[in-house]
Amino acid sequence: MASGVFFRTSEYFKKKDNIRILLLLVPGVVVIGMFTFYPIIKMFIMSFFDWKIGFNQVSPFVGIKNYLAVFMDPIAGKALINTMFYAIVTVPGQMILGLLAALLINGIRKFSVTFRLLYYLPVVTSWVVVALLFRYIFSNQGLLNYLLTDVFKWIPEHIGWLSTRWTAMSATTLLGIWKGIGWNMVIFLAALQAIPEQYYEAASIDGAGSIQKFFHITLPNIKGTILFSTVMLTIGAFNTYTPIAVITGGNPAHQTDVVLTWMYFQTFSSLKMGYSAALSFIVTGIVAVIAIILFKVLRSERA
Amino acid sequence: MKKTIFWTIIIIFILSLTLIGTGCKEEAAPAEEATEEEAAPVEEEAAEEAIEPVMIQFWHNYDAGAGQIDVLDQLIAQFEEANPDITVNQVYLEWQALKNNVVAGATTGMLPDAFRGDIGFVPQFQSLDVLVEMDTAFPDYAEAASAVLEAPNSTAKAGEHYYGIASNTNTKILYYNEELVTTVPATLDEMWTTAEEVSSENVIGFCEAWLGGWNLCQYIWSYGGDILAPDYSTATDYINGSVAVSVIQRFADLYAAGAFSGPTIDPGAPPDTDGMGTGNYAMTIDGPWKAKDLSTKYPDLQYGAVQMPAGPAGSIGVLGGEDFMMFKTSDAAHQDAAWKFIKFMTGKDAQVEMAKVGQMPVNKEALVDDEVLEAMPLLSIFADALQTCKARPVTPKWSDMENIINTKATEAILGQKPVQTAMDEAADEINALIQQ
Repeated sequence: MASGVFFRTSEYFKKKDNIRILLLLVPGVVVIGMFTFYPIIKMFIMSFFDWKIGFNQVSPFVGIKNYLAVFMDPIAGKALINTMFYAIVTVPGQMILGLLAALLINGIRKFSVTFRLLYYLPVVTSWVVVALLFRYIFSNQGLLNYLLTDVFKWIPEHIGWLSTRWTAMSATTLLGIWKGIGWNMVIFLAALQAIPEQYYEAASIDGAGSIQKFFHITLPNIKGTILFSTVMLTIGAFNTYTPIAVITGGNPAHQTDVVLTWMYFQTFSSLKMGYSAALSFIVTGIVAVIAIILFKVLRSERA
Repeated sequence: MKKTIFWTIIIIFILSLTLIGTGCKEEAAPAEEATEEEAAPVEEEAAEEAIEPVMIQFWHNYDAGAGQIDVLDQLIAQFEEANPDITVNQVYLEWQALKNNVVAGATTGMLPDAFRGDIGFVPQFQSLDVLVEMDTAFPDYAEAASAVLEAPNSTAKAGEHYYGIASNTNTKILYYNEELVTTVPATLDEMWTTAEEVSSENVIGFCEAWLGGWNLCQYIWSYGGDILAPDYSTATDYINGSVAVSVIQRFADLYAAGAFSGPTIDPGAPPDTDGMGTGNYAMTIDGPWKAKDLSTKYPDLQYGAVQMPAGPAGSIGVLGGEDFMMFKTSDAAHQDAAWKFIKFMTGKDAQVEMAKVGQMPVNKEALVDDEVLEAMPLLSIFADALQTCKARPVTPKWSDMENIINTKATEAILGQKPVQTAMDEAADEINALIQQ
């Protein structure tokens, strides 16, 4: 079958077409090569050197020393745990609420576009602006403490939401979830609209209720979208930078740093290029393993 | 056929990578040329190219909010009028961005001709081998340097040579809210007691914006201790010595009593200026910009300012400020033009104008100018403080050391580790840096 396709393909592409195709490919290949593959290769090389950035400076080869330094660095470990916490909370949080919003919007006839717009609004809002708003809400004298202590009088004293590691991380994950609901809603809405209406009609005739329809028709039919969303959001969670940089700046004492804020700090404040390159490859490895596991899980379920 | 397409793509890809490599090589070329040109007499090159109009790039972090960039624009216009063959393109970059851009530019060769940045940048950039050795590059450097204060200009020295010239200087003094602090503390011990006394549900007695060396050195020095050995050979018995540990223990006690905070020790706390302006903080120790910030943002705030209260060893503040620097990436004509501009900016007239918008002059004539004394009512307090202040250790690793001190001191003050344990860890990490 494969050789047949290849034969037809090779027959189809005449010599002139090949040149045309290659010409069309060149800009893309050059851009990807320049801005994706070259930096990746360069960074991989850097991760084995004590990389110096100044003129006439020799960068000594240090083998896996940078990788060992990352594994032995308690702050890198803390940043990785914070990143995983952010991923574990925000990925399912965004997906569940996004799917819920999609189901509700899919079920209504009027104002569907209005609700879609409203849910999607946070997605197009600047990360910096909303992170500043969240910092204002959760600061010691912010809106949340004002409501809890002064308006409703539910608690006697202000809570330092951003003062300790886990409360600060929780505030940041709330921002991540709030901002991601709209994107998930759009993705799931497209998937829901692709499910043939006959499935639901047949299930209704068989006497299935709404919950049974959801678990036996809706979920199995959007499994591909769930996988796609999970992988994309996990990669996104490992790339989170702005909310932490704006809300806590990694403070106090790097306890709220995530991988990217710590990497940025090591690169530009400590000028440890080799260390940062090694850290980025370790994180890439972790994300790759997670993605492979997710694909394997789906494949086994399909089989 | 498929193989042909595959190999053609691979060849194009490799070629594109080669092109990128060539591009990078060409980018780096000016640096090599600059190094060669350095050996040649600068004056000869400049004389040949002086006829050609030269545009110099000037990176700085003058404060737009305080009106300093408006003044800078006026000064540039004056300079360009006096030097029609030179135009100056000024680029503002915030403190961290200023450093980051030089770090990135050190690799690509994209660096400015003139630069004005923190005195702490000099040893760091010099270690990257990107700075022009100004005292050997310009025969009239000594003359220009003699017009500015010696102590601030010493911050531009790394090893045997000067890699910059002082732009402005500062140190820190005590700012206090007059409504909250009725008796001005004369000693550091009194200051801590006052901080505890004035603290309440909505008031924190004392604020420090950060806990690096810039913030902690002044207390450790004033109590008779130090951060490093005088020859920078070790931190043991200094940062983890009895004086430093007792200072940090004092902060830990104040924090536990709700009498001390700051925006980095508690990200939910108000920023230092806003906290002072709104009466959340009663006292802070900061530089001359604080007076300008408070007056501009909170004109109704009644605040006082005095020299930092003394410890047993005196009132020993940290010397701060900015230096002008130049980079090797510029050719001789640009270096000559940039040097002219820097001399203009360190001259009396430019320094007087900058003093009017909050920059403490280093030019000796500007310091006694009537207009400056009128524009900076706290100048006499700062002048007294400058007599006893000290420069931070001049080492390229200082930034890393500060970060270690900040992290460990914060952990100790938050009560996550005993103070002695945290500072022992700091000493070990700093010693490891020294040995690298």
